[in-house]
Amino acid sequence: MQPVKWLVEFVDVRLGLKDIYDSELRGYLLPRNVNVWYTLGAVLMALFTLQIITGILLLMFYVPDSEKAFASIQYIMNDVPFGWLFRMLHAIGANVIMIALLMHMLSVLFMASYKGRREFTWLTGFIILNLTMGLCLTGYLLPWSQLSFWATTVATDAAGAIPVVGDYLVEFLRGGPTVGNQTLGRFFALHVVGMPLVLLGLMGAHLFCVKRRGISNPPFGPDYRVAEELPFFEHEKHPNGIPFFPNYFVKDAAVICFFIAFLLAIIFYAPGMFFPESAFQRADPFLTPPHIKPEWYFLWAYQTLKIFPSEIIGLGIQGAFMTFLALLPFIDRGAERRPAKRPLFVTCYVLGILLFVAISIWGHYS
Amino acid sequence: MTTQVPPPQRRKFLFTMIGGLGALLAAASAWPVFRFLSPVAARGGGEQVAIPRSEVVSGKAHFFEYRGKPAVALQPDPGKFIALSAVCTHLGCVVAWKEQAGEFQCPCHGGRFSAEGQVLGGPPPKPLEPLAVVLDGDQLKIG
Amino acid sequence: MSRSICCLFILMIAAWWTMPAALLAADTVCIECHGGQEGRLGAPVAQWRTSIHAANGISCNDCHGGDPTDYAMAMSPERGFIGVPEYAAVPDFCGRCHVGVAEEYKAGAHGQAIDRGAAQCVVCHGNHAVQRASLDLINEKDCSRCHSYERAALIRMSLTETDTMINKVGHDLDRLYRLGFSVDEMQDRLFNQRNLFHRTFHGVNVDEVRQKNASVQGELGKINMEVAAIDSTLGERKLWGSVMIALFILTGVVFLLVRKAYEEDEQG
Repeated sequence: MQPVKWLVEFVDVRLGLKDIYDSELRGYLLPRNVNVWYTLGAVLMALFTLQIITGILLLMFYVPDSEKAFASIQYIMNDVPFGWLFRMLHAIGANVIMIALLMHMLSVLFMASYKGRREFTWLTGFIILNLTMGLCLTGYLLPWSQLSFWATTVATDAAGAIPVVGDYLVEFLRGGPTVGNQTLGRFFALHVVGMPLVLLGLMGAHLFCVKRRGISNPPFGPDYRVAEELPFFEHEKHPNGIPFFPNYFVKDAAVICFFIAFLLAIIFYAPGMFFPESAFQRADPFLTPPHIKPEWYFLWAYQTLKIFPSEIIGLGIQGAFMTFLALLPFIDRGAERRPAKRPLFVTCYVLGILLFVAISIWGHYS
Repeated sequence: MTTQVPPPQRRKFLFTMIGGLGALLAAASAWPVFRFLSPVAARGGGEQVAIPRSEVVSGKAHFFEYRGKPAVALQPDPGKFIALSAVCTHLGCVVAWKEQAGEFQCPCHGGRFSAEGQVLGGPPPKPLEPLAVVLDGDQLKIG
Repeated sequence: MSRSICCLFILMIAAWWTMPAALLAADTVCIECHGGQEGRLGAPVAQWRTSIHAANGISCNDCHGGDPTDYAMAMSPERGFIGVPEYAAVPDFCGRCHVGVAEEYKAGAHGQAIDRGAAQCVVCHGNHAVQRASLDLINEKDCSRCHSYERAALIRMSLTETDTMINKVGHDLDRLYRLGFSVDEMQDRLFNQRNLFHRTFHGVNVDEVRQKNASVQGELGKINMEVAAIDSTLGERKLWGSVMIALFILTGVVFLLVRKAYEEDEQG
């Protein structure tokens, strides 16, 4: 035990890590009635870490060249020891991240945690959601399957609906008149370097916002009081709260374990769940496969575009909806956070979720 | 349960369990990564390499891959064939054949070897590793 | 700034078109005229629409020749129009595409006796409404139109097992393919064996059918072994995967128990 103690002392005398531990971990107090939904941030950090690790491993064998990409994925899936595992973890992990992100956003909405001068926290989170969708979209092209190729063709083609610059924008996104090697090059660079870097920065900003402003009180229970807004910055403290580490951290760890078990369960018991047949065919620019559908988290967008007679109206409505969601904390200014006292909001919330699910199902079967 | 173990003792036991489970999970996760990163077997490992006799011209050197590493075959006198590892015994650079001088020179630190692989000068500590050569019809069988 | 980034993503993400469900054979001038006619001249169009040929985009002119784009010259022999082949010319007519089968057929008893009215392609398969061939085409009712069913029954019996095997192997390969295994090579071998099998029995010789059948079954057996090997790997993976899932759940539960112990402390 002595050498360990000595080493700890050696480092602490130089860096003062115990101070940070005392103030930021053990002394970081959370509200007493903090609930399980508050673990989703930690879950997402763990899942993103898993994506980075599996992504680096896949990069060792993946070749970003339209002639070789598909074969390199086949090689990873069939010949590299455990290549199938890391590929599945990465591809299905992306879907699990989308699930966790949506849960995180919906729980924040329901508890109105974006209130109390937390607009920046909400905004950074909302951009993270969009950036993750961008990561999904760019990552989708890399295997160079029929699904990759045609999903990207259709997704980039949508930009053509914009007046005046539309046609040029489509070519700009693709780096050429059609999806090809140049598209693969830019999507690859964005997927493995550009977007992850921005994502890490945004995650840092998001965490900073959360910690600087202080974690929000869950709006439940008899002790909940509507907070009064002061005309200056104030860190929201919870003096009688529970320490984040180790008291609450063990709950984070538990939910992380359950999420990984869930991810593994899909890999081993329903591996085909997120892979339609066209995901296993090499891209053929001269043959559009029938029944191409976007991933489940884009189905709502796909279907709204089909509902409206003109694409530009569909795009406009989606843009308006996403803008509204991004700016929600600036629009919804009331101080009340208890769901029971916000009947209008909760009604819209439930109807919104039902609408999202209904449109997605409609999109899936249409 | 009437005889409750007090929380601190319970926690200590549970943390020991987590330590064990964590070690198990870490090992089980590290194994696939280790296998994933393990080197692939060298091409043609353990097999003979055949080179057409016509490729090895008298006085010139022919470089080829032997068990995943660079090797060289040459014909110093007509009808006499030699095969050597082309990896310099000093720091692993690949030696170059100097036709004029009739010797190998290493471009990294100036090591010199004879056509038979013996050290002529410079820092190499030992001769180039010789490989067995058999002439079989119009093919040279190496290894 | 975030707004414009947002918008760009939404734009990229948003639009998806409906894809055409299937590439249908385009309407040719043949169909435009004959489709509206009655009786003998119009009936083949409706029959053809139900056929495996129509489903695969094989249209009138692919068999009958002629020019499907020109009303005036559509049925001109100059443009390769063939029209209705003679009874004995049918094997060559179909054999332009179904080469292997035609070869085997001509060498067999049916093919040798075609001038004396022995069965040719359309007698069993039908013509315009042709469907995907199945073993049901060999049946007592149809065969006894010309001869006793005995030998045909023997042939059918020996084929049934192989047919089931081919279907099973095809199904297995498709399943592995959907899991990301590269099965191209095995699929090629299956395709070859299926072709061999299909041509074999057109020679209608019981002994030959049995013999070739055995060799096809042997090859199918080899593919089956490879499939079984992959399946056992999959089983192993699933076993280890299940162990890992159980370990993660267990670890999660222990973490929750720790949380519970902390909760008691926090209340006390």
